[in-house]
Amino acid sequence: MTTRRLRGARLFDPANRIDGEVRDIVMRDGRIVDLDPHATVDEEIDARGSIAMAGGIDLHSHIGGGKVNLARLLMPEDHRRGIAPVALPANPLELASCGHCAPGTLATGYRYAEMGYTAAFEPAMVASNARQAHMEMGDVPILDHGAYVMLGNDELFLEMLASGEDPQRLRDYVGWMIHATKALGVKVVNPAGISAFKFNQRKLDVDERHVHWQVTPRQVVGALARAVHELGLAHPLHIHASNLGVAGNIESTLATMDALDGLPGHLTHVQFHSYGRDGPRKFSSAALALAEAVDAHPNVSIDIGQILFGQTVTASGDTMRQFANSGLASPRKWTGADIECDAGCGVVPFRYREQSYVNALQWTIGLELFLQVRDPWRVVLTTDHPNGAPFTSYPHLIRLLMDKPFRDEQLARLHPEVAAQSPLKEMTRELSLYEIAIMTRAAPARLLGFTDRGQLGVGAAADVAVYPEQDDAETMFSRPSWVFKDGQPVVRDGRVVATPTGAVHFAVPEFDGGADAAIARRLGRPLGMRKRWAVIGHDELCTCSNGGRLLASACAPRSV
Amino acid sequence: MSPRAFLPDTAWTCPFCPLLCDEFALDTAAPVPALRGSDCPRALAALEQHAKRPGAPAASVDGLPATVPEAIAEAARRLATWHQPLFAGLGTDIAGARALYRLAERTGAICDHADGAAQMIAVRLQQDYGQFTATLAEVRGRADLVVCMNTAAVARFPEFFNRCEFDGPGGPRPSLVFFGAPVPPGLPAGLEARTVATQGDPFADLQQLAALVALQRVQQPRPELVALAGQLRAARYAVLVWEPASLGAHGALWAELLQRLVATLNRHTRAATLALGGGDGAASVNQVFTWLSGLPLRTRAGPDGLEHEPLRFDAARLLADRAVDGLLWISSFDPSRLPPVPAAAHLPRIVLGPPAMADRLGAQQSAPDEVFIPVATPGFNAPGHLFRTDGLIIVPLAAARDDGLVGVAEVLAGLGERLGAPP
Repeated sequence: MTTRRLRGARLFDPANRIDGEVRDIVMRDGRIVDLDPHATVDEEIDARGSIAMAGGIDLHSHIGGGKVNLARLLMPEDHRRGIAPVALPANPLELASCGHCAPGTLATGYRYAEMGYTAAFEPAMVASNARQAHMEMGDVPILDHGAYVMLGNDELFLEMLASGEDPQRLRDYVGWMIHATKALGVKVVNPAGISAFKFNQRKLDVDERHVHWQVTPRQVVGALARAVHELGLAHPLHIHASNLGVAGNIESTLATMDALDGLPGHLTHVQFHSYGRDGPRKFSSAALALAEAVDAHPNVSIDIGQILFGQTVTASGDTMRQFANSGLASPRKWTGADIECDAGCGVVPFRYREQSYVNALQWTIGLELFLQVRDPWRVVLTTDHPNGAPFTSYPHLIRLLMDKPFRDEQLARLHPEVAAQSPLKEMTRELSLYEIAIMTRAAPARLLGFTDRGQLGVGAAADVAVYPEQDDAETMFSRPSWVFKDGQPVVRDGRVVATPTGAVHFAVPEFDGGADAAIARRLGRPLGMRKRWAVIGHDELCTCSNGGRLLASACAPRSV
Repeated sequence: MSPRAFLPDTAWTCPFCPLLCDEFALDTAAPVPALRGSDCPRALAALEQHAKRPGAPAASVDGLPATVPEAIAEAARRLATWHQPLFAGLGTDIAGARALYRLAERTGAICDHADGAAQMIAVRLQQDYGQFTATLAEVRGRADLVVCMNTAAVARFPEFFNRCEFDGPGGPRPSLVFFGAPVPPGLPAGLEARTVATQGDPFADLQQLAALVALQRVQQPRPELVALAGQLRAARYAVLVWEPASLGAHGALWAELLQRLVATLNRHTRAATLALGGGDGAASVNQVFTWLSGLPLRTRAGPDGLEHEPLRFDAARLLADRAVDGLLWISSFDPSRLPPVPAAAHLPRIVLGPPAMADRLGAQQSAPDEVFIPVATPGFNAPGHLFRTDGLIIVPLAAARDDGLVGVAEVLAGLGERLGAPP
């Protein structure tokens, strides 16, 4: 195996408290190793004048699964240039694959790697669609991946919760679903709301009852957070709260935080959940309230879901809210589905406009959140790809966070009322490279329970991104000079040079085996799965994942 | 290659139609593999075709026997000389589709499924308007009104109503309406079903129904349609079943109108559609191409880029226009689905099909320029994965017996390797 030494780069490795020191990194057998500085290596790489970080980790990006493919199908205009086709790749290593907001899986892998990212996680895997999610992720080259299974709208869970089932049984059921779908975590989307929409409810507040099951989102969040905690999953319950996008939804978001009752929870794309209803337009920023609540709740972590201007497509499991927003579709078309008494999805194309009051405010709210939450270890940089913006806009977003004059310049272009009144003007904070490394590497790794990723210490996976240092962070983060995946160069000077198949991360929780039989009895109805094929085994996961390595995370059961 | 998992018992998932029924059994000990628990004519016919256990797999080059590796090598040599290949039929599973895209991308082939005309109706609906859909379990557990639009459903999907389990315990027992189609015989007992006769113009009939559902003024509305519109508005969860293959030209416009009707209902109550189709690998190949490249079938990696042409890249049209100079035909489920006889007398072809296809090919034409490679059938003598008709569920298939055949994916990977395609 080749041994490579990366020499002379300034390291930003927050997990090891290294803040810009020049240190060598030696890679061998896919790992970072300790080697005498004078020992000979197979390849010596001069990285002076560069910075090095661990490979980026996106813990919330819609990269694969049913709704993502529906988005691709819905958006042929995203896969051509006007009336002309998208040119074939100049790089013979790349297979033709295109799309900006709904890229093919191949393009997804190439473009992520070209920014120095080496892992991305699909946050909304529908249990009955799990095979598709794993297959699509398996066809994303280079990146490691994994998914969070969506629970809390599946009729079996709601029925169990409604009938007052013992929390241990709920825990076993959640454990079984993780096992069956080979999930890394559990996500809840609009708790009970996707199901409620099937029963023709058009909104569901945190303490409002599901018309059929008579349970509330608060109960769903509480029960799932407890199950996830007791099973010992590393990643806390991943929560897409109630009332996404609704003016005044900060109340639901704070109530959802409260529903955790002190248990760990990760509130996702909080930008979409931090709206007040002040001001003449009854739509205002509640970023400060959210940031204060996060500061006050050490059990809570967040990712932002920043919006950036331009065309995108929103793809969500939240059928209820996507239906409500479908009138805003641009271009005017959308697609939705009720899925297997299990979940749902809605896909709505959207163009964020600088001159729209609401969109401009959304942009400022996201940035206010980034700049106001005190502890960067509980904040992850995301655009909720593609819902706020395509992931390819990360370098631009990083510059907005690191460069106050640039941010002000952008703010001045927005809807005049927003530009004039936003508290963003007064925020002088500029994030450091160290803080960026936390929000894009170290924090997501920690939140996912990876001790050997998102960092550059000895023994860590040799996923490394090297950027030529320069003042313009957008240019810098757009074009790494080197990206290593498991020690192998995959990008050189911003161009893909190898396309290995990534690994799939999944959790292995312990649960009462009796649950298996009990669930199997009920699986035929109302769920559509047959017991015979409900569980994705290791061999099948390997086939789905295109032969990628299987990285199982053990779970240490906990008690409340 | 995926591990060969043979069924531990007789439980079976039928790969021969997109319902992918999984509640029947297959008795492979019988001389002809026998279906237990169903008399589905489509499954029985397919099993009959695959009944004979093949002897030594008989690949051929220009009608002369060859080993499979020889046939793959020769096919690769010929494929490399074609200027504009057409990959058609495309009756394969997800593994086959994954390999197919890589080969098509490297060779600049145009790809179209044998059911491409019907498939493009569904594709263009999604591209131009979108849709709101339900899956089988939602229909089973929630629908209180099911309207089959211009289809009796069971002609091509014989087990459909059994699959919905309307006669089972649990979910509501829905009213069943056949709009512009007769009530088929043999419905599950206890189902209330009726026909709403139409005037025979599917567009005009649907337009009138949609107008009534939207409470628009309609001159001299037909009472049956008024009643149906009222029933749709009163239903708690109506499911409108349609079948792209039953629509002719411009079917996407009809389908769009159907979606508008459902959108009208969804303003106040709940409704969704369910399309029947996508069998023989059509949905699976389309999904895989879409996720890999961003674009569905009827696409090629051509000199100008990734070109998607839902009308121009119709295999039948390309063959009629002699616009291609070689055909790769894949039909791994149906040995009777033969490549179309092209206008050009000597169009070279490479054919991948079950062993039982060999005799039929020979009878079709004397095949002066043809490589035939026998392949396994996913769900019969190979494992695999297929998309179900509702488009969001992938069902794993297990092999019921081992006939020692290679899979489509292996053959295509072999071709790609010889042509220098990246893995």
